Amino acid sequence: MTDVVSTATRPGQSATSEMLRRLPEFLMIWVPLLLSAAHLITFSIWTIWISFTPSTLVPVTGWVGLRNYTAVLASRNWQIAFDNLLLFGTAFVLFSLVTGLLLAILLDQRIRGENVLRTIFLYPLAVSFVVTGTVWSWLLNPGIGIEKLVHDLGWITFKFDWLVDRDMAIWTIVIAAIWQSSGFAMALFLAGLRSVDADIIKAAQIDGAGPVRTYWRVVLPTLWPITITVVVVQLQFAISAFDLVRALTNGGPGIATQLPALVVYDLMFQRSQLGRGAAAAVLMLLILLAVLLPYAAWRYLRRRQSAHA
Amino acid sequence: MPITTTRRRLLAGSAAALALPAFARAQGAVKPRLTVISQWSAGSDGAAITALGKKFEEKGGVWQHSPVPGFTTEMMNKLRAQIIAGDPPACSQLKGPEIAAWSKIAPTVDLDAAVAAAGYEKVVAPDLAKLHKPAGKWIALPLQIYSTNMLFLSKRAMDKAKADKPPVTWADFNALAEKMKSAGMTYPLANGGTRPDDGQKFEASFAGISPTAYRAAIMNLDKKALEGPEIKAAFAQTRKIADWCDPNVGAQPYATNLKRFVDGDMGMLIMGGWAQGVLKNAGFKFDDYVIVPGPSDNGKPVFLLNADAFIFWQRKEADLQAGQMLMAQLVMDPTIQTMYSQITGSIPVRTDVDLSGEGWSDGQRTTAAALKNAVGNNQAVLSLAHNMAQENGLTAAMIDVITEYVKNKSIKPEQAVSRLADAVEGAR
Repeated sequence: MTDVVSTATRPGQSATSEMLRRLPEFLMIWVPLLLSAAHLITFSIWTIWISFTPSTLVPVTGWVGLRNYTAVLASRNWQIAFDNLLLFGTAFVLFSLVTGLLLAILLDQRIRGENVLRTIFLYPLAVSFVVTGTVWSWLLNPGIGIEKLVHDLGWITFKFDWLVDRDMAIWTIVIAAIWQSSGFAMALFLAGLRSVDADIIKAAQIDGAGPVRTYWRVVLPTLWPITITVVVVQLQFAISAFDLVRALTNGGPGIATQLPALVVYDLMFQRSQLGRGAAAAVLMLLILLAVLLPYAAWRYLRRRQSAHA
Repeated sequence: MPITTTRRRLLAGSAAALALPAFARAQGAVKPRLTVISQWSAGSDGAAITALGKKFEEKGGVWQHSPVPGFTTEMMNKLRAQIIAGDPPACSQLKGPEIAAWSKIAPTVDLDAAVAAAGYEKVVAPDLAKLHKPAGKWIALPLQIYSTNMLFLSKRAMDKAKADKPPVTWADFNALAEKMKSAGMTYPLANGGTRPDDGQKFEASFAGISPTAYRAAIMNLDKKALEGPEIKAAFAQTRKIADWCDPNVGAQPYATNLKRFVDGDMGMLIMGGWAQGVLKNAGFKFDDYVIVPGPSDNGKPVFLLNADAFIFWQRKEADLQAGQMLMAQLVMDPTIQTMYSQITGSIPVRTDVDLSGEGWSDGQRTTAAALKNAVGNNQAVLSLAHNMAQENGLTAAMIDVITEYVKNKSIKPEQAVSRLADAVEGAR
């Protein structure tokens, strides 16, 4: 240890030893970063290239211009998937936000057993989406799940068959997704609530604000950076949702619960239309960018503002 | 002069010396080996291919079967990966127009000599043979045949409805379904809700109404036939079928309904002969139900053809090549086809196999007779729902429309017709 310090101070050798000293962190940060960046960028470019070729069973060279894109955009599968994405994305983000916030506020009341409750609420996040989908597909199946349970309890006319109802089936995915990830929103909000300065809350109380008013006017406004983070994370999950839907409804009944990721998989691996599948994948990437770019811009602006202040 | 003789003799001698080992190899000095991939892993399909493998081993071969369970497309993903890696299996399951499509991406084995030696071409239905020699040469061999539109009738349900005659036309069928309904069966039909099942409801309706229009619209994609009155009538009939099925089945397969079918709580099932194998495996008896050809408005049986086949991929290894030839001989052999079909419930590809003996069911005999009759009347057509009529991409686009129509009762038949035409246009 002392030896290293003494050699580092010696002139002439300092550059080399400085490099040696920083080598581990260099290797640990840059190698994985470069590898994953190269991986991501190479395959993205490759996919974009394939989307302009007439590839079907296997990748081939050639140029078809935007034909794959127009075909995908004109297909009912994609149109239904896109409408579903709008509905699912909005409903899922909104409800998981509200549920997460509500849970966080309730947990914030210095209640007994908070740790146990927090673990319970966070637990679904540790379960894989395939498991969530399968379990909910049993619960929601009218023949064996909740509907049957209520029937057996004696309420014969009770009806809860959303899973096989083509208009309501998309909501079963919303329900399962909320169950899975509102715990995540809760954890972030709880951290946010705990970091609110106690003096501010006390000041509000001294000014005569009730608990509702305190939360609404004083605490919640400080949470909006966290809210935006939660929205962005949940949205990118919603856009790339695949395993949950595949296990829960597999796009059915019919094609009523298609989502873009399912369409990509379908085109590439079920229909042997690599070119069109790649085009659909690029369209998904564009939707993701539409969410992530404004978020990046917002963060950039905020950083500049705080630097100026 | 003497010198030339010696030279000639020398040349002949060395040629013989070179040729001998090759000859010996072909004669089986090398143990024939076969790498196979298929989707058949369980149930009667799994049992049948295992039995085939046993026969292969009895002939001195090494059988290396890697099943890829699930849909055919799952098997295709493995096949694609192996072809791209330059290591295709010596033999794989593949069927219908996919044989032509896939044969363009990797070299296949020319089976013409083996087929000619076995005299196979004479005993295969011509439409079927065409699919297995896309560029004029045999590269794949059909193994077994199913009809996707056989009508299964539950005996108990027929008794309940006091019906004794199986329906011949769609009008008969509809009348019988109503009769069963009024006899207390809420859902007279036992079909499921999977994509191929929905496709079968439609293709059975369409081909039963007019095999000519079906051939023009679905197999040849003729624009006029795709918008004709027959296809509209087919969608209307499909709606009736869908209304008689249990909506709670959702996207489950027909197999979930089999007990209710046998018990007489459901009366009819439009399905391929493979359901026989499934019924048998589930412990039901042959006299629980009858099998008749699907409804046909002109009274003569319509046969919606579905045939499983093996395609052979070129390999350099001598043992694999020997294995391919052995496999080809086995697949064309009438005793092997008999063994295979008796396990799965299909009928043999060879039209010269006698089905009167023991081991065959009445259903199989009916199916074989229907095929003969349908081929004679030019009423044997290729199944859309089971990827025989069109390539994967086009089939999937058409089934999208059909399955949505079956599940969504607010779509009118004429809307479905124009959507189907649009889907065909979009996928081409």
